[in-house]
Amino acid sequence: MRFVIHRLALFVVALFGLSIVIFAALRILPGDVASVMAGVNASPARVAQLREQLGLNRSLVEQYGDWMGALVRGDFGTSILTGRSVTALVASRAAITFPLIIVGLLIALAIGLPLGCAAVLARSARVRALFHMMSIIGGAIPALWGGLLLILLFGRGVGLIGILPSQGFPLDGWAMPGRALLSLVLPALSVGIIVGASIMRYTRAALGGFADSGYVDMARSCGMTRTQAVLRVGLRLATPQLVSVIGLTFASMITGVMVIENLFALPGIGNGLVTDVGNRDLIAVQSELFLLAAFFLGIGLIVDVLHRVLDPRMKTATSLSEVSQ
Amino acid sequence: MSGLSIVLRSIWRRAEGRFALIVLALWVVVALVSLVWTPQSLWVTDGYHVWARPSADHWLGTDGTGADVFSWLMAGSLTNLLIVLLTVALCAVWGLALVAAMVARSAALSSVAVVLVDALISIPTVLVALILAVPLGASIVVVVIACGFGYGLNLARIARPAALLAARSSYVESALSNGAGGWRVLVSHIIPNILPVLAVQLSLSAGTAVLAESGLTYLGIGVPSGVPSWGHSLATSVKLINVFPLTVLWPGLIVTVVVVALNVFGDVLRDAIDPVANPALRRVEEGDGKAGRGCMPNGIFETDKVVEASQSCETTENHAGNAAAVAIRGGEHNGGEAYDGR
Amino acid sequence: MSQDNGAQDNGAHAGSGATGANGTESTTAATTDASLAARAKNPKKNGPKWWLISLIAVIAAIAVVVGVTFAFSANDEGQTDTSGASGAKYADSVTVGLKLAPTNLDIRTTAGSALDQVLIGNVYEGIVARDSKNQVAPAIASSWEESKDGLTYTFHLNKNMTFSNGDKLDAEDVAWSINELIAKQYHDAEALAAVIKVEAKDADTVVMTLKTPNSNLLWTLTGRAGLVFDKDAKYDLKTQAIGSGPYTVSKFVENSSITLKANEKYWGNNKAKTPTVVINYLADDNAAVNALKSGDVQVLAPITETLAEPFASDPDKYTVKAGNGTDKYVLAFNNASGSKLADKRIRQAIRYAINHKEIIASRGGADKALGGPIPSLDPGYEDLTGLYPYDQAKAKSLMAEAGYSTDKPLELSLTYANIYGTELGDQLRSQLKPIGIDLKVNVVEFSTWLQDVYTNHDFDISLVDHNESHDFYSWADPTYYFGYDNKDVQKLYNEGVAATSDKERDAKFAEAAKLISEDAPADWLFNYRVTTATAKGVEGFPFDLNQTVMPLYDVTYTK
Repeated sequence: MRFVIHRLALFVVALFGLSIVIFAALRILPGDVASVMAGVNASPARVAQLREQLGLNRSLVEQYGDWMGALVRGDFGTSILTGRSVTALVASRAAITFPLIIVGLLIALAIGLPLGCAAVLARSARVRALFHMMSIIGGAIPALWGGLLLILLFGRGVGLIGILPSQGFPLDGWAMPGRALLSLVLPALSVGIIVGASIMRYTRAALGGFADSGYVDMARSCGMTRTQAVLRVGLRLATPQLVSVIGLTFASMITGVMVIENLFALPGIGNGLVTDVGNRDLIAVQSELFLLAAFFLGIGLIVDVLHRVLDPRMKTATSLSEVSQ
Repeated sequence: MSGLSIVLRSIWRRAEGRFALIVLALWVVVALVSLVWTPQSLWVTDGYHVWARPSADHWLGTDGTGADVFSWLMAGSLTNLLIVLLTVALCAVWGLALVAAMVARSAALSSVAVVLVDALISIPTVLVALILAVPLGASIVVVVIACGFGYGLNLARIARPAALLAARSSYVESALSNGAGGWRVLVSHIIPNILPVLAVQLSLSAGTAVLAESGLTYLGIGVPSGVPSWGHSLATSVKLINVFPLTVLWPGLIVTVVVVALNVFGDVLRDAIDPVANPALRRVEEGDGKAGRGCMPNGIFETDKVVEASQSCETTENHAGNAAAVAIRGGEHNGGEAYDGR
Repeated sequence: MSQDNGAQDNGAHAGSGATGANGTESTTAATTDASLAARAKNPKKNGPKWWLISLIAVIAAIAVVVGVTFAFSANDEGQTDTSGASGAKYADSVTVGLKLAPTNLDIRTTAGSALDQVLIGNVYEGIVARDSKNQVAPAIASSWEESKDGLTYTFHLNKNMTFSNGDKLDAEDVAWSINELIAKQYHDAEALAAVIKVEAKDADTVVMTLKTPNSNLLWTLTGRAGLVFDKDAKYDLKTQAIGSGPYTVSKFVENSSITLKANEKYWGNNKAKTPTVVINYLADDNAAVNALKSGDVQVLAPITETLAEPFASDPDKYTVKAGNGTDKYVLAFNNASGSKLADKRIRQAIRYAINHKEIIASRGGADKALGGPIPSLDPGYEDLTGLYPYDQAKAKSLMAEAGYSTDKPLELSLTYANIYGTELGDQLRSQLKPIGIDLKVNVVEFSTWLQDVYTNHDFDISLVDHNESHDFYSWADPTYYFGYDNKDVQKLYNEGVAATSDKERDAKFAEAAKLISEDAPADWLFNYRVTTATAKGVEGFPFDLNQTVMPLYDVTYTK
């Protein structure tokens, strides 16, 4: 329990620190939303007037205070340009990004877990080496390139076997779930293959570590085959680590899929962030960045706690030095 | 010195090691050659022959300005080499500084450092790059700092257990009692002990940096326009997949091969540099403590940051060993094992 | 297969361990014990090759995904087919793919031609309108008179006009809209600086009084300055639009799409022929091309000539056409006195050194060479391309006079927004290199350009697509970002504005434009012409000027 409180306190402090960094970094940006709204043929007087109306002339401390005050009340502000609440903006983008990374992660797990296990279990050294190379190559493919190859293979209009919508998201969104899901297949596949390779590698490392350990020896002495011992005992022992990996992979995919979102023209979180930065819609950007940071730190927190809960060995541990002495 | 040649020789002895060495050497050679010679000048444009197909003059065709794709790819290898070297250097310096702070004798400093690493490690590189690109614009510096920063944290996380063991060893105790300073201890006791982890992690970071460059450049926050790089070539070729799809193959293939080579290199290096796995080396120098397993980072999805979770477990595994197994089976609490951070 | 089940079992156990919150070791241990015991009773020596099974499992999973995909895509096509069959003569809906998306619908305060393009003439109507030749045409006002001295305009409005919410549209709304624009200084209010007052004389007559004559006034009123809003309606201008045009905005997703539905209360002759027009914003060129190929959109504007090639070579299915426009790709020099480009010889050398034909060819050849500040659709146009023909020798000698050569190059920076792509910068750098200019290209975000170049005038050379029509005034305004200050030009421009006949105005503008071009305060790379690609069966979509004026009422699609 002390551990959880400790981590929670750290979470709050880190978030606060990041909010200042984010706020300050954004004020260094050249240009502001007033000049973007006023455009190329506007007089300086017009820009100044807009700036005044939008409250961009107030002191930075005042602006930060306002933002923070609203955040504490759960109000993430209203985008200056679109006039919509940041919560609504983020929600509509998350409706694309989250399904994408969930499907991507499922594909990754479907590829990575069995292949990772297989890489440990294979008897022949040559087969093991083959699996190893597979995982290395999978992880070395640039996401952009992998996505392009998939488009060139399966994209409707360009692909050799053009069966899938190559880019874009249906205008009706999830009103037609079939179409929406279909447009996520290729991007999720490109994400899935790459993440799958790293999950495979990771499963191999975690399981491999246990396969050589006393746990498995013990299980085998109870009469299991090596395969059974590794899968039944090794996999269970590796579960806490796998949960950590999957949790943090999931978190990092939110920005990790930015390139894929961009390539496949999906209006997700990453794409939206870039658009908002480009428009200097700072209120939206700072709240979006803050939400992202909170999300990453939050997942880190949950994974830590979950790992503790899942791995009983960690209950009493306090520091490494204690063990090593 | 003899240690280095033994390491290189044992890398060369393995087929995948040869592959890695050849690819990396080729990379360096091409980068150096591009300094003095490319088939066509980079800066010659030809508006009448844009998006041309491969020909004798343009081995891989031309881009949207009529410039030679092959020459740009050649010149790009130099930029990528530079990015990789800078990233690795930054990663090493930042990572070691964090390691030093994390194992410092001052409890306040070490716990602050641990907390800092814990807090920052879940922030993805892309996000760091996005924030950095705000004041800096698209630039090589963004790629280098964003990657070096993230991978340095990662390195520190992975190297910490081994470093901590070394720092609390009786050698260090006696060195300290003989009046050695913190810096001495770091250089002569801690770094040699984490060298295998360090070497492996740095070569893996190099691979990730190449991947990150291509992604960030495509997003417009990496290498600026007018600077050749593989990411630049990849991003340019994206524009014409509808007209001339095959151009896309080459830059991606180069990146993939180079990253595979870097990763394989890290793998082989781990075995070669590890006195436990490499008997030839053991005869030359005394190493202690098995290195943590190398992880394979992926530039975009950054599982690498996560894999360290296993690292610390794996390394500590060797100490706790079977006692922990017994502890689990019997539901006892006596064999608790340190798991710093996550 | 029994082995496979075993593995799944195991996974389930591990999962339950995970959900069992505090993961009491005793249960974990117990299950481990149990399974160990179970195994011990039933030992199996040679299991099948696990790696093979896993591989097969992965392949099977992929096969299932592909299979499901096929099923879904077949379904999908079925749906579109039936909806097509139910349509009588024309399709119920047409989807138009455009590129630059508006961030909101507030046409009063937010700049950008993306709003003009979709809202003016479709949703909002002006007191007067603009036709495809860029000439003034009747809209809310059916006719108008101008007094001899050019100081009073009288507009006669149509009768029985309504807004889409049912409110009546009369002279009160017109006068209120324009007065409000001036009072609140909404976008484009500067263009009406000469207006003293606007009055509703009776329900269908509006009188506008000016301080000084303005030959541009009517044209100005075709744009945002002349739009008529509902005086009594209260709505959020950023997300809604209530106007009197043939369409209403039924759905708006910022940066993504606008759905237009026919306005049932529309009063005029331009009744919508297609009930629903969807505007889909496709920022990514490849995605745009694929959308047209796969039938997601029926119209694509703009599309680059290179990408349009596959469509152009398939005339049975597509129509590709370039339309005229007023987009001027202006390579503006910093003319301020301290600038490196204050030396006229250098500016002239740059103009001689640029091979406009080659640049246009590299873009596919649709664009038109432009030698001066006025494009062919604007008043005062004259072909000025002869003033600075491509002549590298002359450029070199001018640079030599100024003291620069390839051995001692002049360093200049070119700053422009990333929306124009990196190619132009690369080409210019390459073309200016032989004459002794070392061009450093900074491709930046548009908002950075606005700050550094437009507001702070911190640049050597800038590149922008000045797409607005009738923006010649910027050359008569020394405070504008390129800082061009020529008293003769200003005098001629003011005389042209004050002119009471179009002919007189055109002559003055043409004379000023020639002076400007000779002075070389900028180079005009080309007059960009928008290439539009449509699927066969689309009729009535405008090709000319469609990035600013895009009337959609006439658009139909027959499958």
